Amino acid sequence: MSVLDRIAERQLVVVTGKGGVGKTTLTAVLGRLLANRGKQVLLLEVDPRESLHQALGTEPSGGEVVPAGPGLSIQNLQPGAVIEGLVREKVPIAYLARKITESTAFHQFVEGAPGLKETALLGHAYRVLQGGHRPRTDLVIVDAPATGHGATMLAAPGLLAQAAEGGQLGDMASELADFLADASRCGVVLATLLEEMPVEETLELIELLWAKLGIRPDLVVANGMYPALPHGAAPTPGMNLWRARRRLNEAELGRLTASWEGPLLKLPLLPLDRGPALVKALVALLHEADS
Amino acid sequence: MSGDLLKGRLIVVVGAGGVGKTTLAAALALGSAKEGRRTLVMTFDPSLRLKDALGVGDSGKGEPIRVMEAGPGFLDAALLDAKLTFDRLIRNYAPNAAAAKRIFSNRFYRDMAGNLSGILEYMAMERLFEMQASEGYDRIILDTPPTRQAMDFLQAPERMMNLVDSKAIQFAMDPWWDDAGRKNLAFRIALKGAMELSDRVIGRRFLLDVVEFIRAFAPLFDGFRSRAEDVRNLLLADETRFLLVAGPGPDRVPDAMFFLRKLQETGHHLGPILVNQVHPDPGPAAGKDQGTVLLRFLADRDQRGLSLLRSLFPGEKNIISVSLEPVPPGDLRTLGQLFEKLSKANPN
Repeated sequence: MSVLDRIAERQLVVVTGKGGVGKTTLTAVLGRLLANRGKQVLLLEVDPRESLHQALGTEPSGGEVVPAGPGLSIQNLQPGAVIEGLVREKVPIAYLARKITESTAFHQFVEGAPGLKETALLGHAYRVLQGGHRPRTDLVIVDAPATGHGATMLAAPGLLAQAAEGGQLGDMASELADFLADASRCGVVLATLLEEMPVEETLELIELLWAKLGIRPDLVVANGMYPALPHGAAPTPGMNLWRARRRLNEAELGRLTASWEGPLLKLPLLPLDRGPALVKALVALLHEADS
Repeated sequence: MSGDLLKGRLIVVVGAGGVGKTTLAAALALGSAKEGRRTLVMTFDPSLRLKDALGVGDSGKGEPIRVMEAGPGFLDAALLDAKLTFDRLIRNYAPNAAAAKRIFSNRFYRDMAGNLSGILEYMAMERLFEMQASEGYDRIILDTPPTRQAMDFLQAPERMMNLVDSKAIQFAMDPWWDDAGRKNLAFRIALKGAMELSDRVIGRRFLLDVVEFIRAFAPLFDGFRSRAEDVRNLLLADETRFLLVAGPGPDRVPDAMFFLRKLQETGHHLGPILVNQVHPDPGPAAGKDQGTVLLRFLADRDQRGLSLLRSLFPGEKNIISVSLEPVPPGDLRTLGQLFEKLSKANPN
């Protein structure tokens, strides 16, 4: 079974990695690949500055579900809005619900409570998968926020479940934590560049995910690798830069694979701007690398 | 000379993740020391090689370490640690040892305080203020943390002040439970609906932990509030410059715009803008091979990014292009070379 076959069986996939390593493009690429396999895929973006739509060439989501080709749709989700939605649902009296969501105390609670926002976002994905939403969704891929520690998001429901034990919030968080811990339904994909800091963070994240959550990533994708140098290249400054960068990529790849023996796919740096053409080219390359 | 690069007693280096803030902050700090200034660079998460170059291992966490000396000038480096700073802050502001102990043993503080949103940013500012107030330095260069909402740290002092003054806190100080966790009868009658709801939805134990934390914290609030105000004023001071580091290419321009707008809106003083990791022109090599095509594309893409940024900020003369290094600087020698390059690129 190939790596992508395995990922295609998941219900929830979280794509994470350091800032600037190509998470959003990878999310779009994975979405397209799995939709091509007949899955109904929803891509969830968390960053309020939307960019997923640019990768796929659709309209910005603005919070709505936007179709992005056969079997694929995208949604930009703001945690505050999700939490307010939950309050409206739990508090059937509209007046009272509004009183709560408009209060300063509520906003400070939402801003300050550790793990609440992350839990709300993953909770939304979980509910979409539980059904009741049209169209049917087989798989949700989350373009996770760029944090120093990508594990924070995945750890949030467990943390909140523990802290808020005994209330409805705690019960919901606990159900979600169980779902995330179920390796047959949920997976993590890590994106990285073959440079020192991104590789370092990837290795730290792999360790942290295992130690704290017992999660092993389904896949690590090494992005933006410089191509091999042609033989007899002239020693121009351009060539020297290329050679040095390629060497750096290879050294970092060595460091990565020395510690990570799991599935790893490499994607080259391409002469294309971010957008549908890049996604299309990477879909073909990732498919090829996987088979 | 280094032109505007080293203007300011305090230089805050900002920018999105992965654009090379830490390396540039270290290079600027080294340059400042070589110009005879007593300089401190404060950083969050340097790479292994940079950690080695600066000599800030885990042992030196929190305390500045002497990296090099140059006549009257020297370079110190310090790693920032949010939890250590928070702990120290509590020790400083607690009226007595018992009050500090009460906080340290609170479950909410132990497990979650380090995860409170904005805490990392606030603690960075707090530590910065401590170092600045010590007057041991002519210049401090702060490498900002990789945050989700990248400008959180600007609002961090404000948020801390709001929290201290907030109704939620007042409420917690006079809550609807007694110490045993039983409900106060009067409150129960007056606020039945809302209280029942928060008990049921959020959970009593969680709320009790938080309330206990806030109560334990209360004696520290006055100190906190005035300190947060000092930190805010320091960030707005004339002598404080924000130096923006942006990634290359048009795709990274929205990030840079976001930072620039935010800094302008909030009235902070903007220093030079460094567009980092710009691919140089590969030259007129005849090659039509895959690699040359790629290098040419990257050089062209990065020029498009620069032009776009310049067209969006026509008045901004201090947009400096910093070319991609074949090998990222990782020791004092290569950091020094990087500083030389920056100075040449910014002759005014």
